[in-house]
Amino acid sequence: MSVAQAEAREIQLEAPSGLWSEAWRRLRSNPGAIVGFVIVTVFLFAALFAPLIAPEDPRSGDLDRLGGVCCPGPSADYWFGVDQQGRDVFSRVVYGARFSLLIGIVSVAVGLSVGLVLGAAAGYLGGWVDSAIMRMCDIMLSIPGLLLAIGLVAILGQGIWQIMIAVGVTQIPIFARLLRGSILAARESDYVLAARSVGVRGRSILASHIMPNAMSPVIVQGTLALATAIIDVAGLGFLGLGPQDPATPEWGTMLTDTTRYLQSAPHLALIPGAAIVISVLGFNLIGDGMREALDPRFRGRA
Amino acid sequence: MLRFVVRRLMLLVPILLGLSILVFLWIRALPASPAVSLLGERATPESIAQIEEQYGLDEPIHVQYWSYLKTVAQGDLGTTIRSRRPVTDELRERFPATIELTFAALLFAVTLGIPLGFAAAKRYGTWVDHSSLVLSLLGISIPVFFLAILLKYIFAVELGLLPTVGRIDVLIDIEHPTNFYTIDALLAGDLAAFWDVIKHLILPAIALGSIPLAIIARITRASVLDVQNEDYVRTARAKGLAPRTVDARHIFRNALLPIMTIIGLQAGLLLSGAVLTETVFAFPGMGSWLVEAIRQRDYPILQGGILFVSLVFVLVNLIVDVSYALINPRIRVS
Amino acid sequence: MVVFRRIVILLAAALLVVGAAGCGGDDDDGDGGAEGESGGTLVFAGAADPVVLDGALVSDGESIRVITQIYETLINLKPGTTELAPGLATEWEVSPDAMTYTFALREGVKFHDGTDFNAEAVCFNFDRWYNFSGPLQSPSASYYYGAFFGGFAKNESEDLSDPLYKSCEARNPTTAVLTLTRPSASLLGALVQQAFSIASPQALEEFNADAGTLDEETGFRPTGTFGTEHPVGTGPFEFVSWTREDRLVLKRFEDYWGEKAKLDELIIRPIADNAARLQALQNDEIQGYDLVEPQDIPTIEGDENLKILDRPAFNVAYVGINQAKKPMDNLKVRQAVAYGLDRQAVVDNFYGGRGVVAKQMMPPEVEGYADSVTEYPYDPDRAKQLLQEAGLTLPVEIEFWYPSDVSRPYMPNPKNNFEAMAASLNKSGFKVVPKTAPWDPDYLGRVDEGNAGHLHLIGWTGDFADADNFIGTFFQDFSPQFGFRNPELFKLLDDAEIESDRQTRIDMYKQANELIMEQLPAVPYAHTKPALAFRQDVEGFVPSPTTNELFSTVTIGGGGE
Repeated sequence: MSVAQAEAREIQLEAPSGLWSEAWRRLRSNPGAIVGFVIVTVFLFAALFAPLIAPEDPRSGDLDRLGGVCCPGPSADYWFGVDQQGRDVFSRVVYGARFSLLIGIVSVAVGLSVGLVLGAAAGYLGGWVDSAIMRMCDIMLSIPGLLLAIGLVAILGQGIWQIMIAVGVTQIPIFARLLRGSILAARESDYVLAARSVGVRGRSILASHIMPNAMSPVIVQGTLALATAIIDVAGLGFLGLGPQDPATPEWGTMLTDTTRYLQSAPHLALIPGAAIVISVLGFNLIGDGMREALDPRFRGRA
Repeated sequence: MLRFVVRRLMLLVPILLGLSILVFLWIRALPASPAVSLLGERATPESIAQIEEQYGLDEPIHVQYWSYLKTVAQGDLGTTIRSRRPVTDELRERFPATIELTFAALLFAVTLGIPLGFAAAKRYGTWVDHSSLVLSLLGISIPVFFLAILLKYIFAVELGLLPTVGRIDVLIDIEHPTNFYTIDALLAGDLAAFWDVIKHLILPAIALGSIPLAIIARITRASVLDVQNEDYVRTARAKGLAPRTVDARHIFRNALLPIMTIIGLQAGLLLSGAVLTETVFAFPGMGSWLVEAIRQRDYPILQGGILFVSLVFVLVNLIVDVSYALINPRIRVS
Repeated sequence: MVVFRRIVILLAAALLVVGAAGCGGDDDDGDGGAEGESGGTLVFAGAADPVVLDGALVSDGESIRVITQIYETLINLKPGTTELAPGLATEWEVSPDAMTYTFALREGVKFHDGTDFNAEAVCFNFDRWYNFSGPLQSPSASYYYGAFFGGFAKNESEDLSDPLYKSCEARNPTTAVLTLTRPSASLLGALVQQAFSIASPQALEEFNADAGTLDEETGFRPTGTFGTEHPVGTGPFEFVSWTREDRLVLKRFEDYWGEKAKLDELIIRPIADNAARLQALQNDEIQGYDLVEPQDIPTIEGDENLKILDRPAFNVAYVGINQAKKPMDNLKVRQAVAYGLDRQAVVDNFYGGRGVVAKQMMPPEVEGYADSVTEYPYDPDRAKQLLQEAGLTLPVEIEFWYPSDVSRPYMPNPKNNFEAMAASLNKSGFKVVPKTAPWDPDYLGRVDEGNAGHLHLIGWTGDFADADNFIGTFFQDFSPQFGFRNPELFKLLDDAEIESDRQTRIDMYKQANELIMEQLPAVPYAHTKPALAFRQDVEGFVPSPTTNELFSTVTIGGGGE
């Protein structure tokens, strides 16, 4: 089980239901979520405007800057120091935000889209389709997430896209189960029964009644999965499965390549490491805040 | 109840069969042949073909699967390619190591996570709550391997307090009848060895336990908040029971159910984390074993190892579900 | 609450036990100093666990490291050099036709199991290798034997050639005569390899060294325990125990014929991660390790408790060029690659001061190194010009492969080398497409099959001091790795291999080296001195160019603490 799975379980246990406007109000009064929003805003800003912020090309460096010693630390010229290839670390960290954003979005998109289709099919159609899909999910979930991802990368070949897809695939059964669970719950609910009794067609019930109500846990889970994806991709990078091009300014790769310099040039590892922790924390704070805001148990408390 | 258990056990069969097919096909889909891994730097196409023949890799795929299934059913997982030893022998050494590490990590997570979550819930909305939240979110926001490297660097290298690698000091020589080194040390009556094994476990366990710690703390907080508003708690309070007694008898006991569930569910998470933690600490467990095997395309280890890990994981989930049902009769009905 | 209380009690109990154990632990630290002459214990870390402790059946460095301590060969290398020196044979005589070799054997040598070493034991070993059958003939088992002797008594594969070995005769207990089927100029040099370690015949038989079943599913399954529990040789250390992936324990062999090992015990343990090896050394969990990374050298040199030992450079790191991939068949393009590689910058920045730029495909110490060859200093403009002369439009797109997660003596951090090289090629009219795969087996497989793009990073560490072991291995025949056929070069190397006149042979190899650097089947870029690290109080370790060092001269802790 991955963190995402544990959280999915948690979300289901708490069975949120959504009154979005009230949820929004409570989200705004949660200091953790606000910190999360600030972090994510900075992160998005860096990702979108990287070329304007970064002083240098993140991929090319100049070995002469090293002077045979690895590696000069932070200075007025190079705010975050210079890396083992003579590149400006600050520029690489800024561009790294792009990659992390890309990793999060692509992985979650893979997991979410396939998971949603499977989950909706299982939950709505039921019967043997449900059993088949759920058994498949069981099988996938019975392999520890990271091992499953490593296995997929071993087949797909090494590379940043392959890693994103592999991490996304490990999230498929989580989303599928989550959506199936909330569809099953919603199907038995009064408003669906009411819609059915007045003769609304099945497909339309799914689209306009069940899905919207089943979506709120999925949105929460999506936010948290974004955070998990960034961490998992970094972990795969650590195992040597990162991008083919070592010049890629991706935080996980930067961190992995430089842990060996921890004693001689600690800034090389600590800076991208901190970047990962802070941005992931941002997404987690928002996700957690949303979950709490959507949770009926907390309603009216804050 | 019995029917519930039997039904759950029956569900295992298709899962395990599906899993064995999945693992088997996956290995065949890998781009490199294991023959190359045997021959290393010196492989020639001829020698590769020879090894493939020798290992039966040139036979039709269903024939390979069938004979694979037959031998597995006999408890024979084959011989590893690199060390040329039976896979089961290595499994016997590796598995206890990971169990020991996992157990230590859970112990750390539970002993810290439950009080933390409890405190947060009791002081809902205060700075205690918020900081425990941030702390636990921080726990799941830091990559396990990064935390492991930092812990090792600070506590082992800089401060020299704890060892950096392995399970036990190489100068300590005790018998390993169980391969659970803590138990082995106690069986040998060697307390110094026991302490040394514990010292080797501390840092990996903290690194590995950080995520479960965060999750357990959050679940504890949520379920305590939940239970706190139940009628029976209000009744107990109204009866004038001391707050401490209410906390202990009513709130904590009832909040324990979801907490227990989530603890059980950490097994797979811990195994994923163990892959990274064991790599950092050169800890000879299942995780580092499987990662090495994937790199070196050691098919027999992968087939046997992943199958075994998954079996254990499925069984742990089964036990969790069953005990959950035992405690909570409502589940059995549905 | 009951559960909670129980957890607390358990925890308290655990802490108590731990605390008590902690107190007890402290008096246990002195390493058994009571015995009269104590040499102490040295713990040394390699990167992986050995495979099996039978010299004839391995080709990996970690196994060979341990085998070197347990067994001996007929001929040794003088410590720290590649010069031949007496081993189990004190003298040898080669017949004029180079087909009969007579070895005078050392007297009074005993195997660890108490049996005598003599000519019969020598012949027993040679006959054992020659009669390998079934899976033992596969290169995965007996690579070195096959590579040198060509074939076996009954070859079971078409890939094997006629055996070079004919017979071994124990003329008397101290004289063994080896007869070959054809002349060989490099037998003596080859015999220093651990693949030709002399093992105790009694132990080989008793513990079924060659026994095994051929399993339909998993191939050869050794059933004997010789190589795993009972390796018996004549070396200065004898085997005690082996806990896989944890430790391999050796102790001093008290009846060693020569100077006995100074250490009481030698423990070899595998630590895969490079940084972890350094940290274990700093923490005194180990007292020495191999494969030091360049960026750690200043850290180690700056630590008064630690030190670095360098091995002589006996390797070559090179950029392989696959001529089967167009346009690499064009000499001008290959020259452009050579001019476009900033080899000096790579050596300066990523070899920790332990490297020199390589000019030929073998190290200068080996006989046959040419006096002068065509050189290619870094010159991006020249490279662009050559590409244009070749009629190509710039930039020329080429696939360039490097291995991930591996450290080799000649290439401590392939990724760093690659990045710098790719950057300099990109400035020289090329457009590099980076490609990578895990070293073993994916990357090596690709390189061997010729599937590693236009260029690939790789290298070689010599097994023994003979040009044939370098350029002969690379370029004597067609190989998919390089994808070219050059009859002139192939013939030159064929002739040189069997030439028995030393000076003629040297000249032939010089000529071959000149030809190679003209034709550029590959671009050599570094010879390095692979470093080892030790605790400061470890003395007497003599680094060897072939990386096979004996630990018998090593001491630890000096006189006192």
